[in-house]
Amino acid sequence: MFSLRLRLLLATSLTLAFFLVLGGLSLDRAFNASAEQSQMERMQAISYALLGGAEPNEYGELSFADDKLPDTRLQQPQSGLEAALFGESAGLLWGSPSLGDDIPTPANQPVGQWRFERVGQRFVLVFGLSYVGDGGAARQYSLMLAEDTALYDSQMKIYRRTLLLWLGGGSAVLLLLQGAVMRWSLRPLRRLVRELGDIEAGQRERIEGVYPQELRSLTEGLNAMIVNERSQQGRYRNALGDLAHSLKTPLAVLHGIAERPLNAQNLTEQHKLLQEQVSRMGHIVQHQLKRAATVGTRTLAEPTAIRPLVEKITGALTKVYHSRQMAFTIDIAPTLKLRADSGDLYELIGNLLDNACKYGQSRIAIAASRDRWQVTITVDDDGPGFPEEALPLLERGIRADTRHEGQGLGLGAVKDIVDAYQGQLKLEKSPLGGGRVIVRFAA
Amino acid sequence: MRVLVVEDDAALRDQICEALRGEGYVAEAAADGEQGLYMAQEYPIDLAIVDLGLPKVTGIDLIKRLRKGTGSSTGPRSVPVLILTARDGWQNKVEGLEAGADDYLVKPFQTQELLARARALLRRAGGWASAKLVSGQIELDTTAKSLKVGERAVDLTSYEYRVLEYLLTNAGKVISKSELSEHLYAEEDERDSNVIEVFIRRLRLKIDPEATMNPITTLRGSGYRWDLPRA
Repeated sequence: MFSLRLRLLLATSLTLAFFLVLGGLSLDRAFNASAEQSQMERMQAISYALLGGAEPNEYGELSFADDKLPDTRLQQPQSGLEAALFGESAGLLWGSPSLGDDIPTPANQPVGQWRFERVGQRFVLVFGLSYVGDGGAARQYSLMLAEDTALYDSQMKIYRRTLLLWLGGGSAVLLLLQGAVMRWSLRPLRRLVRELGDIEAGQRERIEGVYPQELRSLTEGLNAMIVNERSQQGRYRNALGDLAHSLKTPLAVLHGIAERPLNAQNLTEQHKLLQEQVSRMGHIVQHQLKRAATVGTRTLAEPTAIRPLVEKITGALTKVYHSRQMAFTIDIAPTLKLRADSGDLYELIGNLLDNACKYGQSRIAIAASRDRWQVTITVDDDGPGFPEEALPLLERGIRADTRHEGQGLGLGAVKDIVDAYQGQLKLEKSPLGGGRVIVRFAA
Repeated sequence: MRVLVVEDDAALRDQICEALRGEGYVAEAAADGEQGLYMAQEYPIDLAIVDLGLPKVTGIDLIKRLRKGTGSSTGPRSVPVLILTARDGWQNKVEGLEAGADDYLVKPFQTQELLARARALLRRAGGWASAKLVSGQIELDTTAKSLKVGERAVDLTSYEYRVLEYLLTNAGKVISKSELSEHLYAEEDERDSNVIEVFIRRLRLKIDPEATMNPITTLRGSGYRWDLPRA
């Protein structure tokens, strides 16, 4: 697919070339015609002057005195200007001294008529005339004037060169101008593309620039689409939340019923079974709803600032783990944004930090940074660290809904979110002594 | 200790109240946010357990208004709040905690977990960090609901335990008889302030038969105070 710019450039260049060739040809034609016309007129003038000096010779035939020729070139051989007089029977009656041997013999020219033509390297002008001599009888003659085309040709050559130069220069200027006009006209489109890129990169929330009328409905449509997509996501989340609420409240009741005989000795087999099944249902509902709520990569996702979100979560966790006096260190630039749904980011960071609080002693550090390619989030704790087999467990992608609480690493939800964004999840040893979780997303 | 349960699902509400009563708490129940807010503002409660998805006034709004004292005769209240939420997203949890809740529990939950969280919040409100309230030689285990004085285990009746837990949780503060009875008896129970005096006397005898420690001071006309230092 050609780019718009290439299409426009190609179309205008072809049109320009067509008109330039056409213009060049017609200019050339017109100049040629007028040059030939003036050539003829000049030769006619010489003919008249020649005829003005014509006298009958001793045989009563019309003749010219060589010393009275009107153009000195006629007297010099090889001068390029020749004159000849032919009689009725087409015999050469008189030739100027400049006349060459190869002169063509013209057909009889009707009286009073001119014939002008180009024959080889000569322009030939023939005039038919009749002369009434002393005898009273009219005789017919053809006066022929020939001029070499060399001068004419060299003039034409100069003219064509000049024409080509001007036309070529003109088209170059026109092309440049056209390029500039196109750049200027396409600038709003380029800006739109840049804005969309910013939205994709998470640097911008909507299209904000002022655009020409032709693009306005497009930008408004895009903005509406972005807003709609986001609000739809919100509605979807709410619907899921409602579903969660209406499923989990009865589950909580069932839980309570299953637990009713609080001391373990009274637990009947059925109670145990009921407890197991209810708790399994609870885990499945929880896991599937969480997975359904994970939005994952969206092209026009709203960028989410990481730091405020982390501060909110650490604030909440400080309350929840009040008795443990957790100390959080946050190393995240306030401007750092990630192109991810804020709900997803809440889940990701909430789970990571909650996990760190559960396993850590008292110190938790969270850092996030962006380089050219990716955004890296690191969470450290000073707990016992991850067991050796933790990573392969994660990599195998074990189903989180088959896992029971406390059995896993609490990273199942984190892994689901990271996968939804095609990110990377790594577990390492932390400089704080405990576990370090590294999450990487494409920037 | 008086606990308010605000939950719109009747079955779950009854279940929670029953579990709380089983632990010796006085449980009050509200079925919607409006009633819940009123009770949280006007009743002498020690803890509120609030479901987030409530009709009329949402759980979040309830907590916000409770903390601000909106439309209340008693002004802002700092009573600990435990939220119950089916929406287990972190955004919801953070929102609830930011609104003024102190802890959250995701549905479905185990009753024991709920009771443990409730105990922890009550303790925390009294300034205790551990589940064992230790003061002088007295060690009250709020999880096992048992009392040790030095090496000696002391048996307490349910009401004696509740009086002791309340006094000890609020160690150093003067607690009036009416406050004690408000926090120990359900609305519909017969209240008799003489009974409180009886419990206090019995507690003194059980904890300190030789009268060497004098942990509970009687302030004539105003009430009682736990006077042993916290460990």
